[in-house]
Amino acid sequence: MKDIKIQVNDLSLYYGEKKALKEISMQIPANKVTALIGPSGCGKSTFLRCINRMNDLIPSVSITGEMLVEGVDIYDKNVDVVNIRKKIGMVFQKSNPFPKSIYENVAYGPRINGLKDKGQLDEIVETSLRQAAIWDELKDRLDDSALGLSGGQQQRLCIARTLAVSPDIILMDEPASALDPISTSKIEELVHELKEQYTIIIVTHNMQQAARTSDHTAFFYMGELIEMGKTNDIFTKPEKKQTEDYITGRFG
Amino acid sequence: MASHFEIELEKLKNVIIKIGNLAENQLGEAVKALLYEPAAESKEVKKTEAKIDKLDVKIDEICQSIFALQQPVASDLRFIMASMQISNEIERIGDLAISVIKNSKNIKEKHDLIAKFSIADLARQVEIITVKMNECFIDRSETTIGEIFVLNNSIKTSSDDIIHNLMNEMKINSKVVVSGMNLVLVIKHLERISEHCTNIAEHIHFMIKAKIIKHEKFDDRQ
Repeated sequence: MKDIKIQVNDLSLYYGEKKALKEISMQIPANKVTALIGPSGCGKSTFLRCINRMNDLIPSVSITGEMLVEGVDIYDKNVDVVNIRKKIGMVFQKSNPFPKSIYENVAYGPRINGLKDKGQLDEIVETSLRQAAIWDELKDRLDDSALGLSGGQQQRLCIARTLAVSPDIILMDEPASALDPISTSKIEELVHELKEQYTIIIVTHNMQQAARTSDHTAFFYMGELIEMGKTNDIFTKPEKKQTEDYITGRFG
Repeated sequence: MASHFEIELEKLKNVIIKIGNLAENQLGEAVKALLYEPAAESKEVKKTEAKIDKLDVKIDEICQSIFALQQPVASDLRFIMASMQISNEIERIGDLAISVIKNSKNIKEKHDLIAKFSIADLARQVEIITVKMNECFIDRSETTIGEIFVLNNSIKTSSDDIIHNLMNEMKINSKVVVSGMNLVLVIKHLERISEHCTNIAEHIHFMIKAKIIKHEKFDDRQ
C-alpha cells in the first residue's frame, strides 16, 4: 500500500477492565475507502471512534498503543483534540442535523472556526452541498429547517456539514443503515466520489455495501483484527477461515 | 439446521453429480457402440441426452436464482461460477458421446481397424478420465485434478499417434477411407471429451484453490 494516511500500532482499548480492542495494527491508505466489517460487538465502531478520539468522552476508557495520522500520534499529550476532530470528520448512523436552517447547518462548523465573511460562507455552503450531491435539491430552500428534509437528504446534509470544515479523513458509522435503497445508493455513489479528495473509513453491517463501496476491507471479531486486505480479495478469496465464515453467513 | 442458502447449494451440487453421471453413462454407451455393437442410437441414449439438456438448463436456473437472491461471495461464489461452467462442459461431453455413436455407424471394417490401432485403449482412457472428473467434483481432491491433467496429456499423444497411423493406412488402402475418416472423427470426439474433463478439473481447481489456471500449458503445471 502506497501513501499511508493512518498507521495503527498495537492499539488496545479497555472499557474499565474489559479489553474491547486487542493489539490492533493496520495501515489505512490515503484517498481510499476502507470498510470495517464484523458482527455486533466486535469492536469495529469502537475502533472507528478511536480514529478521532471520540472515545475520550467515555470516562472508563483507556487506550494503549499508537494511532498515527500522517505520522503524528493523535493520543500524544501535546495534540489538540479539537484540531483532530476538525481534520477527521464523522457521519453517524442516524442523521443528526441541528434544529436550524439547511444553510446554518453547513455554515456552523466554519463559523465556530471563526469565519465571518458572508461571501466565503456562502461559497463553502454551496461547495459542500455540491460535494454531498444535494445542492440541486436544496439550493432554493436553504433557509428551510433541516429537520423537514427526508432521512436520505438529512444524511447527505450531515455529510455536507462534515465537508464544510475541510477534513482530510471522513469516518462513517453505518451511514446508510436507516435509509431506503435509493438514498443508500446515493450515499454509496457519494462515498465513491469523495474518495478522490478524502480518506474514508466506513463501518457497515451490510456486506454488499462494503463490497460495493470500499477498496480495502478489515474484518474484526471479538476485538481483534482478523484480516485486512483488498476488498476484491476479501470477498473472493479470504485467507482466514473466520473471514470466510463471516462473509458467507456461516458464522457461529 | 442447514440454512435455506445451504440447501440451495446442496441441491446444485446434487444436480451436477447427476448430470455428470448421465454424461458418464452416455460415454459408456458410445464406447460400446464403437467397440462392440452395430452402432445405433438407442432410445435410451436419446432419453439420456434429453435429461442432460434439461439438467443443464436447471443448473443455469438454480445459479441465476442464487446470484439474484443470495449474493454469494468467496467459496460459495466460486462454487456457483464453477458449477455453471462445469454444467456447460458436461453437456458438451454428452453431445460428443452422441457424435461418437453416429460416426461409429459408418465404420465397416471396425474390428480390424480398432484392433490394429489400439483404439480400445484410447476409449478406455477416456472413460477413466470421465470417471475421475466426476469423482473429483465430489472429493475436491487436488491429487485427482493432477491425475486428470496427466491422463489428458497421454490421451492427446495417443490420439495424435492414432490419427497419424490411420492417415497412413488410408493412403495405402483406399478401401478403408470412409471408415478411416469416421474413425478419425471418433478419435477427435474422444479427445475433445478428455479436454472437457480437463476443463472441469480446472474449474474445480478454481473452486477449491481460488486460482484460475485455465489456458496454462501442461508442462507449466508439472
